[in-house]
Amino acid sequence: MTSDEALMLEFQRGSREAFEELFARYREPLYGFFCRRLESRERAEDLAQETFLAVIRASSRYEPRALVRTYLYGIALNLVASERRTRVRNAVLVEGGSEVAANPDSDAALWVRRALERLDASEREILMLREYEQLSYSEIAQLLRIPVNTVRSRLFRARLALKIWLEPEKRTHGSGMAIDASARRREGEGLK
Amino acid sequence: MSQNHPFEQEELMAYLDGELSTDRATAAVAHLERCPDCQRVAAVLREVSQDLMAWEVGSSSPRIEAGISSALEERGRESAGANAGKEIPVGISRVRRFTPWALGFAAICLVVFVWSVKSVGPNPGKPFNSVPSSVGEPMAERAPVNGRIYDRLQQFSKLQQAPEVQAPPMDSNGLPQGTGVHAQRSISVDGRPPTNSASPVRAEILMAGDSVVPPPGGPMIVRTAGVTLTTRDFDQARAGLDDILRRHRGYVGELNVNTPAGVGRTLTATLRVPADQLDATLAELRKLGRVEAESQSGQEVTAQYVDLEARLLNGRNTERRLIDVLQQRTGKLADVLAVETELSRVRGEIESMESQGKSLAKQVDFATLNATVNEDYKAQLQVVPPSTSTQFRNAAVDGYRSMVDGIVGVAVFLFSYGPSLLLWCAVLFFPVRFFWRKFRRVNPE
Repeated sequence: MTSDEALMLEFQRGSREAFEELFARYREPLYGFFCRRLESRERAEDLAQETFLAVIRASSRYEPRALVRTYLYGIALNLVASERRTRVRNAVLVEGGSEVAANPDSDAALWVRRALERLDASEREILMLREYEQLSYSEIAQLLRIPVNTVRSRLFRARLALKIWLEPEKRTHGSGMAIDASARRREGEGLK
Repeated sequence: MSQNHPFEQEELMAYLDGELSTDRATAAVAHLERCPDCQRVAAVLREVSQDLMAWEVGSSSPRIEAGISSALEERGRESAGANAGKEIPVGISRVRRFTPWALGFAAICLVVFVWSVKSVGPNPGKPFNSVPSSVGEPMAERAPVNGRIYDRLQQFSKLQQAPEVQAPPMDSNGLPQGTGVHAQRSISVDGRPPTNSASPVRAEILMAGDSVVPPPGGPMIVRTAGVTLTTRDFDQARAGLDDILRRHRGYVGELNVNTPAGVGRTLTATLRVPADQLDATLAELRKLGRVEAESQSGQEVTAQYVDLEARLLNGRNTERRLIDVLQQRTGKLADVLAVETELSRVRGEIESMESQGKSLAKQVDFATLNATVNEDYKAQLQVVPPSTSTQFRNAAVDGYRSMVDGIVGVAVFLFSYGPSLLLWCAVLFFPVRFFWRKFRRVNPE
């Protein structure tokens, strides 16, 4: 299979088929990336499209110094950050402008989503990049501009914390999401 | 890590993620087979990953492809235009993409534009408190919403130029009428959350309509190069340097020439050349002499630029909404002042981001080339020694200089330490005299 970087270089030379192949490879991953970070599926599609448009605009001066995958997710992270800033401003300026969740998630997905929301933002981003985008530690470190060891330690902390929030028996108790800190601490000590 | 557990738990996790080297991974497998504690940790980590997979987001809709295909067509046209030696502006190529539809669309836009300009033009007979229909209309000519806001707007109009935005006419509910670019633009400034419904294509239209730094044509690399040369003919190299710069449309950022005695001359220059001419310029510079050192580096600033562009777009949207609020809403003076303060802040941010974008684009367009040219110095043999009289004269001058330096040194020492010496002499004089006399009495001989 042709590598992403080779496809990008072909696209740079004018091959539309190369871009269509890249688009086919990353369309759903990028859509999933935005979908899991934004409330609206339509907005996720818009931003996924905007990511590819940015790649098209930038193609003529592309140099294969980094992986195309890292390049794409770098753009996507910037777009998400910009989107969040806009949402905060709108919430301040427009009364009642808070966005309503429009994602028809299943119960299991909702459970995972709420558990992830309890994590620290930096740990959550690393965990999601690893689990959903399947990026390596070094790719995550490059994207977030932090050392690889920091990625590893935060990822480990995030997984242990998430284990508590995702504990299956709590799921059956309805409001069992409010697990107290002592239980979390006990679990952490038990694992160590 | 302990004797029982040769692996940290984080390292175990790295093994499960396939992030360990082969030898460590082999050792991890062996340890996992016999260590129940580590097996439990591994099971927990695997379980978390499996639980996370429960969050599936489904597939995207086909509408994601619409904008992409049109952008690809546009890119094809742009590259064709570039091959023909013509740069097609983004806005023009975007209109060409739609061909027949674009013509109809443009006609509708033109009609709406003409109608809106007529409706918001200077009209002495217009009622004093009618609602203004365009934020692009000069503030002084615009009818006020009420007296207080009108006064503020007039003051503001003296400080700021009116934004280059033409909004469509408003209906009785204050909502925009019509279709096309103007209608789309007005939707984004009508005070509702616009960004969630705005498509990227519409964002492009917004960008094209504003006086923003145009988006880059690809990854933006700030290129820097350095070359150190040694040449026998320094003057010819200097002239060659100027000639190369002129031919490649570059300019000198800084240039220093040192001509110390006894060694060769040195030229140090910081040159700015168009990025696409950097390689050619370097190749020609190498011919000016022997290359002692050479370096090249590039820093990619695409992500920074895209982020800046997105923030700029958001800033403009916010600015439009604030102007809309000022125009269409009445309220307390304090509210108006608060909106104006926010507007000033947002405009300041926009100007700052625009200047950052221009600066970034300039850095990308022009590469920095640090050139150092050293002269291959040939030492001159001094065959005529100085005359005897000159040597005597120089010796006399040196002697006089030494004498003056010595006197000055003694004077400086006395001024520096004299007071202290006098003080200690005064303090020690009487005790010393006392002991001396006593010693003399005990030992008269």
